[in-house]
This record gives sequence, structure tokens and C-alpha cells, in this order.
Amino acid sequence: MSDTSTVNTENTFKDQEQKMAISARNINVVYATPTGDIPAVRNVDIDLPKGSITGIIGESGSGKSTLIMAIMNAVTKPGKITSGSVLLNGENDMLKLSSEKQRKIRGKEIGFVFQAAQNSLNPLRRIGQQILDLGRAHEVNDLRKLINYAKKLLIRLGLDADRVLASYQHELSGGMRQRVGIMFSLVLNANIVFLDESTTALDMLSQASVLEIIRELQREKNLTIAFVSHDIGVIADLSERIEIFYAGEIVEEGKTSEVLACPKHPYTKGLIKAIPKISGDIDAAEPLKGSSPDYRTFKQKGCLFYDRCPIRTDSCRDSRPELNITNRDHKVACFRVGANDRD
Amino acid sequence: MIEIKNLQKFFQIKAKFSNHKTVHAVRNVNLTIPSGGALCLIGESGCGKTTIGRMLCGMENPSSGSIIIDGQDISKLKRGARAKLLQKVQLIHQDPYQALNPTHTIEQMMKATLKKMAKQKKKDADWIRQRMDELLKLVGLDPETILFKYPHMLSGGQRQRVIIARALTVEPEMLIADEVVSMIDVSLRLGILKLLRYLRERHNISILFITHDIASARYLGNDTELYVVYKGMVIERGRTELVIRRPQHPYTQALLSAMPILKGIEKPGKDRFVITSQFRQSEEEPHGCLFADRCPFKQSICDEKRPELIHSDDAYHACFFPKVRQVAAESI
Amino acid sequence: MTTPDTVKSVHTFTPKPYNGSSFWKAAWRSITRKTSRIIGFAIIVLFTLMAIFGPYLYSSHLPINTNAIYAPISWKYPLGTDFEGTSNLALIITGARYVLLAAALGALFTVIFGTVLGLIAGYFVGWSDSIIMRITDFFLTIPSFPLLVVLSTVWNFGHPLAMGFILGITSWGGMARAVRSQTLSLRERGFVEAARGLGLSPFHILFREILPNVSSYIGMNLLTSITGCIYAEVGLFFLGVVPFHVNNWGVMLNMAVFSAGAMSSPEALPYLLSPLLALLLLTLGIVLFLDAVDEMFNPRLREDV
Repeated sequence: MSDTSTVNTENTFKDQEQKMAISARNINVVYATPTGDIPAVRNVDIDLPKGSITGIIGESGSGKSTLIMAIMNAVTKPGKITSGSVLLNGENDMLKLSSEKQRKIRGKEIGFVFQAAQNSLNPLRRIGQQILDLGRAHEVNDLRKLINYAKKLLIRLGLDADRVLASYQHELSGGMRQRVGIMFSLVLNANIVFLDESTTALDMLSQASVLEIIRELQREKNLTIAFVSHDIGVIADLSERIEIFYAGEIVEEGKTSEVLACPKHPYTKGLIKAIPKISGDIDAAEPLKGSSPDYRTFKQKGCLFYDRCPIRTDSCRDSRPELNITNRDHKVACFRVGANDRD
Repeated sequence: MIEIKNLQKFFQIKAKFSNHKTVHAVRNVNLTIPSGGALCLIGESGCGKTTIGRMLCGMENPSSGSIIIDGQDISKLKRGARAKLLQKVQLIHQDPYQALNPTHTIEQMMKATLKKMAKQKKKDADWIRQRMDELLKLVGLDPETILFKYPHMLSGGQRQRVIIARALTVEPEMLIADEVVSMIDVSLRLGILKLLRYLRERHNISILFITHDIASARYLGNDTELYVVYKGMVIERGRTELVIRRPQHPYTQALLSAMPILKGIEKPGKDRFVITSQFRQSEEEPHGCLFADRCPFKQSICDEKRPELIHSDDAYHACFFPKVRQVAAESI
Repeated sequence: MTTPDTVKSVHTFTPKPYNGSSFWKAAWRSITRKTSRIIGFAIIVLFTLMAIFGPYLYSSHLPINTNAIYAPISWKYPLGTDFEGTSNLALIITGARYVLLAAALGALFTVIFGTVLGLIAGYFVGWSDSIIMRITDFFLTIPSFPLLVVLSTVWNFGHPLAMGFILGITSWGGMARAVRSQTLSLRERGFVEAARGLGLSPFHILFREILPNVSSYIGMNLLTSITGCIYAEVGLFFLGVVPFHVNNWGVMLNMAVFSAGAMSSPEALPYLLSPLLALLLLTLGIVLFLDAVDEMFNPRLREDV
């Protein structure tokens, strides 16, 4: 990269950072294994504009959860963040703060809902007690107010608040736990919320209602939400912007409707084709070839999608495409944009 | 051919401080699956669709009603004959991470049943090997690379294929696919659905497809019948495409509305509505319509009388105020 | 025939024969992965060899040397001598067979009774479960050591088989309970249900599907009950409640404390410490080796990458 371009990007970076709740740059995470380091997240730049919902799509094993953990600087061993910066509201680099400060930010400013909400709740304590624990950990003075707020949120989420507060996690159904998880992420007034596969274990109706609630709360509190899932349907429904994540890198990003209407990357195209739809020709649906990325994929030299790509050429095997702008803020990392699948 | 007549199932649930509670899990279900045919059961979790599947393959005994496989009522058979007949119906488990023994290689699993089959057919070890090879290839796996693997080395999609291959070793006439794709990455789901469709079309294996996702039901059996189940009762049935385009029961409409909309490709149906109230097993058996407590179009009679499944407009529905609503997403 | 997802490369299929040795290979790999495991394994092998070949190394009556009673540690007597001037090392080596054989048999009985009864009770819930568990409770309630003391007055424990049987009989209860509870949870798992659906026999389900899933637990229990059994029998001999037919570690301890007065006279100390050292070393070996057992039986942990 030449000097001038560095200056340029730096300038645009400055302009944007005011509007960005989170602006992560050049994130790299490696996993140490006996056979060598595996780059689980590579050179990822990601912006979460204030008051928007961003969807991050990735298959299992694509490193999408690692990315979220890296943004919160909560990567656990054997993973390690090797470089990057995460600016919170244009200041405070999350990756450089003291661990005590980070802990306070997590929870107070950033909320997080785990994929398996049942695993993130303590099975031996009632939900109400856990809220109090959380409050004490974050030095909340007025615990009564906290409980009242939790109640309000639970009612807002369509639950019987008093009953839920007095329950243990095993007394709640999957959908209820997921809602309780959302309440936990919001009870300390976080305005940035990460949702990791929050609807995956739910069936259609609960999923639809949880999505509806997320959407309403987001509008009401002007939350910034990053929703991580392998389910392109859910993300397409919920998010305004979409990031397609494959084997540790972003391969396509842009406005959801635009990316879905005219996907440029063969992986995105494949994903959209691979979901059975409620309308249109059912025989147009086509399974995605190959298997999900594994540790070998991460070590590949050329394009990460090479072995599953229907439009690959030899050069794709040797060098890796970078994320380039194709149309306004629609970016794609592919050498063969526009090439026909049938070639 | 498999027929179910007036199938009922009651479960006793231990309540904390009171007497045992009875849950009516399956209510008078009738259905017929011709050989090589398919049928889709739709409903949310807890609606009894899984129980129907489990009763069909003998894992659960019906409280009343009969299951007739190839003209024989399984409840009237002796134990041995019953087990033999039930082998024609194989259940594909919902959770591919649970259904394979973690301590066995794929080869050991396939061999366990194939050995038994070989004994019955008086075949030798070569036959076992050939059959194993053939079946794994049939489900789209490469025997060479997969036979020596343990389940944890496989992805969810591969596991589900192994499970299907293993079920095929006993030469079933019907597969019960209970939420087979719900635990698998969306990108790999279609492959499994395509495999099931292929087994039905080319190998004449009939399929009972149990799911909460109408889109995959549509993919698997758009030419067959769709049964919508709520609290153990069939509340709407008809040809899949017709039910999706012209749903009459509000519950079916709620399910269709709940399908995520693919922005940029689809637009929501004009009558779309989302139900936010949770599914709840009611404490006492309601007199009226089972869906009345969640129905946005409920009227007073719905609490008093229960509608029955009646024929109308090429389909069946159980609603006093059926009204076709356009709730399914449409492509742009 | 076209398949829905055509397999990319359909080579001629030549299956490698599945050979039973792969388990041992994998087991060897998991043992050699850590130095501590190798040490543990080496200690166990050493004691096993001692038990097998020890008595052949010496004449049936160990040489007595009246000039070297309670001799200090030297090259000739690496662990000193006893009240008759017999080498303590020779006593330890020749005594190992009875101690180890009885302990191994005891542990084996424990594991076999415990596993089979636990599996059956857990899988065929109902009357068989109730009966087996009542018997288990009975054995769990009777305090095993006093029972051993009482039994030893009636029985002749000259042969290690008798000793092992008694040790096994008194200690399988806990094992049966643990295996039963694991079986109870495993029988609800999808793969057991699937095996039932495929029409596999209950025998197959119990011993081929469920047993391998509790095998690492059983393996670990086998090893820990060996140490338990050793303590129990050595304790019996130490207390002197069992007639001394044979030379063994427990007898040495008894003699050292009650006859030689090792607690007060320092010259007899090696006589007391040498069987203790042997016990300590063997326990250490087993503890170090235990670490490898889980990995040996669990294919997920056995993997290289």
C-alpha cells in the first residue's frame, strides 16, 4: 500500500468514526494448534453504524463467533488476537483497554446473547438472583431499580416477568430462555448488542416473534445490533446491512436488499440458491457444493472458496482476492465477478 | 402402504404438587401414505408431530387407534412379527449429533446391521462390503474417505447422510424424517432434502416429512399432501402448493407469516401477521378451538365449540371462520 | 446410476481391513504422548514383571544371614534386611505376586460384577433394576473392611483367587451404581434408540453400543480399584487377622511394626519402609497412568489434530 492511500483511508476513517458504534480494523485472530497456527479471522474490517442492524452470515466453523469475541476482546485460548483495533463510539480502543475497564464496558455498553442461551444462564440460581449478581458485578447502586427495569423488559418481551424472575433456567422453554438472554444483554442499558445464532434453536413461530421483538426494541432504543447466524433467511429478514463471512474473511458486504438481489460472490449466490423458498420454482434450488470450511481451508494460499467455487480459474488457487468496491458500498472479494456459473 | 386410523396418544405428566396431568398429544389423526408417496406434517415443537412419527415406527405405543402397515395392524401382531414389520419404517433422527455412537467408526455402524441382513439373506462378507459401498455412494458419501472415520470427524450434513445410509441397510419402505435438517447449517440443508427426494423418486421409498419449516416441506413434496398439526390435531390439510397459496386456517397463516422474508428477492404477503404469544400447553382441556387462545381472528363461538376438520375448496380445515389470506412471501 | 450429489471421485473401492490392532496402536500413542504417562506405564510394567518372574529369581526359601540382622542399606542389601537377615528387596520382589494378583483379581471382579449388573439394571429398567439395585444397596451398606475381617477368620486366604474374590464381592456396589446411572442416561440417547429401531439385539445394544461409551470410566475404575484392593489386603495382613501363609508386603509391615519394633528402633526402619515404598511407587505409577486411560477409550481425544 502506498503512503497516499494510507492517508486517504485514514481520513475517511476519521469522517466515519463519529457515526460508527463499533469500527474494527484489520482484526487478525489465530488459533494455536499442535500443527501450527490457524488464522481463524484474517484482516477483517467491520463497521457497525449507530442504530442499525448488521447481519453476519457464516457457516459453522467459519470463524464468525471468533470475530465477535475478538471485537469484544474476549477471545479465549488457544485463540489469540494478533493485530487490530476496535474503536467504540469513535474512541476507546477495546483491544488496548485494561481488562477491568473492558469488563465494565462489556455488559454496560455492549450486550451479548449467546447462541445457546441455556448454557449462559447459571442452572443453580434463579433468574432474579442472576440479575442481582450482574448488577453487583457492575456496581449498580440501585438494585431495586435494576430489577424493575428487568421486569419491564421481560414484559416487553412477552413474558410473565414475576414468574420468570423466580424461575431456574430449566423451568423455561427454549424460546423463553432466548428472550431472557436478550433481557440480560439489555438490562444494563447496553446500546450495542451482539446476537450469536440467537434464533437457531427455535422453531418458526418463536423465531418470528423473537425477530419481531428485536426489531421493535432496536427501533425504540436506537440500538446497534450485530446479528450472527448461518441462516441467511433470518439475516435477510432482519438486517439492513449484511456481511458474508467465509473461512475467516469477509467475502461480500453491502446493503441487504442489494446483496440479495444481485449477489456478486459465488458463495453468496450459492447460499441464496441453497435455501428452499416459499415462492418461485422449487427446482431452481441447488445445494451448495462441498463441505463447510475446516482447518485446511484456513491454511489455503489462494481464494478460500476455491474448492467449492463453480467459476474458479487456476489463478484463483494461487492468489487471494481482496475486498473491492463494486457498486457504492457493495464490496466483494472475487476475481471473477460477473463470470457466468455455466462457464 | 401405511395407514393411520383414529390415532390418539395421551401422556401422563408428573405435576409438582398436584395430581398427574394428562396431555392429549395426538388427537384422532388419520392419514395414508401410499408406497413411494410422501406426506408432510407441519407444526411447531410440542404440537405432537414427533409423537406421531414415533408411534409409526413403534417407539411409542398409541393410546388408541390403529397403525396399518401393508394391510397388517401392528398392534395385533406378535412381538417378533411386529418387530419385523416395523423395520420397514425407519426413523431418521432430528439430531445427527446424538444418533451416531461416538465410539464407533462409520464402518462398524454400517456393518452391525448389514451383518444381520446378510445372515437373513444368506450372503457373505463380500455382499456386506458391496452393499456398504453402494449405500454410502447412494447418499453422496465417498466410502473410501468416510468408512474409517468417527462421527465427531464429520459435519452435521455428513452425519445425517450416514444416518440415512444406515437406515437404508435394513431396506425400509418408508423413512420418517423428523426435523432432519433443523440442526444442520442452512447451506447444507438442501443437499439432504434433495437426497430424500431422490430416494423417493428413484427408489420408491415413501417419506413422512416432519418439520416446522414450510419451505422445506414444499421442496420435498410439492406434489403431495401437507398436514398442519396443532396440539395433536390436524387443523388443515391439502395439497402443499394449495395450502401455501390459499391457507384457510389462521394457524397455518401464522406459520406461513413466520417465514423470514428474503429482502431484495421476496416481498411479504399483503395479509402477513406475526403472533408473539408463546405456545402453551393449556392447564385444562379447552372446550373450544385449540388455537383460540392465540388466534387474532377469534370470535366468541371459538371458545365454546371445537371446529372439526371439514372439506372445503379442495382442502380440509378446522375453523369456523376460514378465510384465505395472502400471507406467504412472494418473489419480486 | 446417478446420485443426487455425485461423489466427485469414484475410485475402485478397496477397503482396508479393519484390524483390531488399531486400538492398541492408538493406546500406545496416547501413552507415549506425555512423559508422566510413560513413567506411570513403566512402573506398572515393572511391578507386573516382578509379580510374574519375581518368585523365580530366588529360591523358595530366601537365604537367612544371621550376621546381617537389620543390616543397613548397602550394595548387597539395597533395602536393608529383616529380623533374620533376609534381603528386604528379595522379600518385596517375591511378595509382589500374591499382592498384585489378588489385587488385580479383586479389581477385575469388581469391574465385571459392577459393569454387567449396572448395565443390565440401567438398560432394562423395571423389576430387574429394582432387584439388582436392592442387592447393590445391601452390599453398599455392609461396611466392607469389618466384613473382610470377619470373613478372614472363616476362610483360608492362602490363594490369591480367594482373596481377590472376597475383595471384589465387597466393592462392586459403587461401580454398579455408577454404571447404572450412566447407562440410564445413555439409553435415552439417539444412537441407542436408533439401534433399537434398526432391530439390533439387546445384547448388541448393551455390549456394543452402550459399553464402549462407559469404557473409559470402567478402565479408570479398574486401575483405581487395584490400588483400593492392595490397600485392603495389605491392611488385612498388617492387622494380622489373616493367617500368614505367604510372604507378602502386608506381612512385612506387620512384622516390622509388631515384632521388630520399627516404630522405636531406627535400625529396623528399612524393614518398615521398604514395603511402604513399594506401595507408594505402585500407586504413583497407577495415578500417572490413569491420565492416559480416558484418551485411550475416547476416539475424540485420541485424534492427532
